[in-house]
Amino acid sequence: MLEYVLEENHMKIRFVNTVIQTTLSLVVVAFVSGCASGVRNPSGVPVTEMQADERGFVAGLGIESQDMVAVTDKMARSLSNTHEINNFDGTPRIVLDPIINNTRFPIQQDIFLTRMRALLNSRTQGKMRFLARERMDALHQERDMKRSGEYTSTTDPNVQEFKGADFFLTGKLDGQTTRTSAGTSDYILYSFQLIDARSSEILWEDFAEMKKQGQEDASYR
Amino acid sequence: MTAHRSIVFGVLLILLAWGQWGCASSGKSYRPRWTGDAVADGLHAITNAPPKDRVLWQMKTARAAMFKGKNELAAELLDDALVSIEGRFGPDKEARKSRRLFQDESKKFFIGEPYERVMAYYYRGILYWMEGDRGNARACFRSAQVHDSDSEQNEYRNDYVLMDYLDGLISIKLSASGDSNYKRARESARLAIPPPYSADDNVMIFADYGQGPTKFAAGEYGERLHIRAGHSNAREIRITTDGAGIHLGPYDDLSYQASTRGGRVMDHILANQAVFKSTTDTAGDAALLSGIILAQGRKTQDVGLGLVAAGLVSKIFSAAASPQADTRDWDNLPDYLTFGTLTLAPGNHALTIEYLDGSGNVIPGMTRTENVVVNPLPSDTVLYFSDTK
Repeated sequence: MLEYVLEENHMKIRFVNTVIQTTLSLVVVAFVSGCASGVRNPSGVPVTEMQADERGFVAGLGIESQDMVAVTDKMARSLSNTHEINNFDGTPRIVLDPIINNTRFPIQQDIFLTRMRALLNSRTQGKMRFLARERMDALHQERDMKRSGEYTSTTDPNVQEFKGADFFLTGKLDGQTTRTSAGTSDYILYSFQLIDARSSEILWEDFAEMKKQGQEDASYR
Repeated sequence: MTAHRSIVFGVLLILLAWGQWGCASSGKSYRPRWTGDAVADGLHAITNAPPKDRVLWQMKTARAAMFKGKNELAAELLDDALVSIEGRFGPDKEARKSRRLFQDESKKFFIGEPYERVMAYYYRGILYWMEGDRGNARACFRSAQVHDSDSEQNEYRNDYVLMDYLDGLISIKLSASGDSNYKRARESARLAIPPPYSADDNVMIFADYGQGPTKFAAGEYGERLHIRAGHSNAREIRITTDGAGIHLGPYDDLSYQASTRGGRVMDHILANQAVFKSTTDTAGDAALLSGIILAQGRKTQDVGLGLVAAGLVSKIFSAAASPQADTRDWDNLPDYLTFGTLTLAPGNHALTIEYLDGSGNVIPGMTRTENVVVNPLPSDTVLYFSDTK
């Protein structure tokens, strides 16, 4: 009888201990998973240097640096092999005309042509010259100061030396967006043209196209 | 009741209380400053509030900055917010967590409901146009329309009148066609119908008025996100200057846009969480009640204790489940959006702005005069007026 009573109490104690341990564990799990307000990268992400043509961890469907690098590399190579450039009598003068953004993505519009110009200037060794039309105010002021005698000049400032354009280099970005419950996709057509300043003929044109798609987490849909 | 039973009951009750308290309190929360300077308070919040609320504060502060003419600051804030909004594709740890049973939806990074994202792009578009950048302004109005594609029902998708209308107007100014945009804008118009384009007009007037929609949680556990419609005493605006004048009717109604979004995927997730919460709560009650009764009997004591323990665990899980919908909202948005154009000579002009009620009567106390400077041609002059300051 005594053995039975002792055995029963022992089982009860084990049972109670098991209940307490199990409940404690479950509550801890519930507490931690239910209440932990985890913050992504709480300590921030240290600055890391990347290549311009690398895809970073911040990415969307729009135009990014790696797209711009790829497109301008292709365009610059194509333009430098143009018949009209290679066979021009003298050195062709080119003016950059701002590209037209016909997409849904706000962009830094000058950046494409600026990169193309920099590539061409650095790689074609003077095969073509670009005119700094965006600097004309400063250039006019400099010439006026030289003409008035306030600044010295190594050449005759009264001679008209600002060059006229032989060609315009410009471009257009066109976009097409599709959005359904499956996600969003964006197609962008990058086209660039070299236009004869005298006749308005398009002497060179090339293009690149990209399509991106993605879907956000269900909690944002 | 013997001592060890009392201890068991006591421990389990403490755990229940701890579980409920621990899960109800989510740590230190940010208390926004209220100094009366909405821009300064907003900038403080952007820096000090939890990162998950950053975009929300950027949106609110950007609009407060526009009220004060601090357009550069507004542009900067909206640019940063839009990067966050557009960068949300793919795996998102915080968003995934917010879908879990024991995590509030409000723990996810805020990017706004579609109507809020639309308005972020709309205001950025206005600011780009003010800077003379028509191309990027048009891009913003287009992106705004794309973000309205999140509606559950097709008939309410891409139905902002102004986004199509402005896209078309800028296209014409950029020597492209705006016909299809104007056609879509007219088809979407429910209130006022926008006039045919006067592409030669050089003054663009953006205006908005009223108090915009707000969010609230409904349902037994607050699992359903509902929209409370905004309100405006004014129904249209009359602007006069130099003997000429225009009427600006309400083209877009934000309360309508917010409430016609339809269901979210997250609504289904939260509904399931609410069912779990309810089920485990009910099961917990049943187990507790029967367990307490059974625990009174000598022969059924162990079974009773087991049921009580199981009931408490079920109650703890129920308490921890968190199906509340996220009701964070951009609360300084207007109710109505409108737009108009004028031709004015370059130089200084005084514009009289009157707000009219639904019967066409001028609402006293809201009339004001704004002194503006019209840019030399061919630049556009873009003006923004709000009845809220």
